[in-house]
Amino acid sequence: MKHHGKKAITIVTGCLGSGKTTLLQHILKEPSINNNTAVIVNEYGKIGLDHHLLRQAEERTILLKGGCICCNSRADLEEELKELLYEDESGEAPFERVVIETTGMADPSPILFTVLTNPLLQHRYIVDCVITTVDAKNGMLQLRNNPEIIKQITVADKIVLTKTDICSPEEHDAILTHIQSLNPSCVIILAVHGKVDPFIIQETSNVDRLKVIHSLPSPVTHTNSNVSSISFSFSQPLDWTAFGLWLSMLLHANGENIMRVKGMLDVGENGPVVLNGVQHIIHPPQHLEQWPSLNQESYLIFIVRDIDTALIERSLKTFQQFLHTVVKTCELSTIY
Amino acid sequence: MCILCGEFIMQVHWTDYTDSTDTEITVGNQQRIRQRGRLHRANLCNQLLSHYRLTLEEWNGSKFILRDAKGNAEIVHDLGTVWHHVEAMLGYPIDPLDVSLLDKIAERNSAQ
Repeated sequence: MKHHGKKAITIVTGCLGSGKTTLLQHILKEPSINNNTAVIVNEYGKIGLDHHLLRQAEERTILLKGGCICCNSRADLEEELKELLYEDESGEAPFERVVIETTGMADPSPILFTVLTNPLLQHRYIVDCVITTVDAKNGMLQLRNNPEIIKQITVADKIVLTKTDICSPEEHDAILTHIQSLNPSCVIILAVHGKVDPFIIQETSNVDRLKVIHSLPSPVTHTNSNVSSISFSFSQPLDWTAFGLWLSMLLHANGENIMRVKGMLDVGENGPVVLNGVQHIIHPPQHLEQWPSLNQESYLIFIVRDIDTALIERSLKTFQQFLHTVVKTCELSTIY
Repeated sequence: MCILCGEFIMQVHWTDYTDSTDTEITVGNQQRIRQRGRLHRANLCNQLLSHYRLTLEEWNGSKFILRDAKGNAEIVHDLGTVWHHVEAMLGYPIDPLDVSLLDKIAERNSAQ
């Protein structure tokens, strides 16, 4: 079984009015999803969701001593997720997946932290996919005014570009270029009135992300740029222990500013290791049994804030003595 | 729960996840591979920690012991906490992006 008996969690985030609820409404119309999915919302929006397993959670964050923003626990979610587990196990309302819809201003990383570090939840739930909705019409304006949206885009596995029917082709291209340069590894889906393939709430790992990185448009540079991304590809298998040493040290020192790390690494096993992290939080790395595509090249993407990407490159190349591999830089881009 | 020291381990650090998807492991199974991995990790850490005049020793397949040249010792559970203890022992923050550290590693690499 893919998740080893754990319940999958899909997080849907995005700015106020970017179409999160409309998207969910459409997805929940699919009977096979509707029957076995529980939904947790932070706020009831103007558009109501009609669902048999709908819960509301008032956002309550427990601030941990000395913790940064990402390392905070969401007590409300913890309670709701435990409650749902109880209902599932008592046979009252069984489900296979939970969709968490956040508020427009929410930072999704505390949700990941809660699920991945809670002693009970980490064994019963797995964060499968993070979907961010971006309004194609007002996206550029929101990117300029709301720093949260940058975080929401960098954390996303999939981005649903909404309101594509009312935006001009220029607006469409501008926001698309920006999203791709902010998060080179994400999958972008276009939607009108929330109409998308309902199964996007499940993670698909067969996308050839290396191809996506190679086909990137030229980076957008802003004068006040502080978020940038860098991608690496590796031509030989690398030593997983040595790599873990380097990355854990990097995250210890700079975790708060490493907004996203994502990669598929050849560590000399039959399949690659899928690495996925947001700030200090690293998902348990998945060791796949085989490569999802024919292209067996390892890649690693960092999206960082206020860190010189050239230094990351230099550090990784210096540490390659430990890594026993040759590092190539794919793409070095400074954005927003 | 660690049966040797009674410490309650709530979190498995991400570097400790292996390719094994078995949810149950028989006692003693894969011990050799695990121990080899731990020694390899301590060895790699030592190469890096030598720049700070610290050493890391694998202890009974259960913990690591971090020592400095003055005789201070600290019990370390995993890579998630080792850097925290290193900083506490040194009294200053460590950073893999530190240019002087990178220079020192590169210098040693070229000397070898």
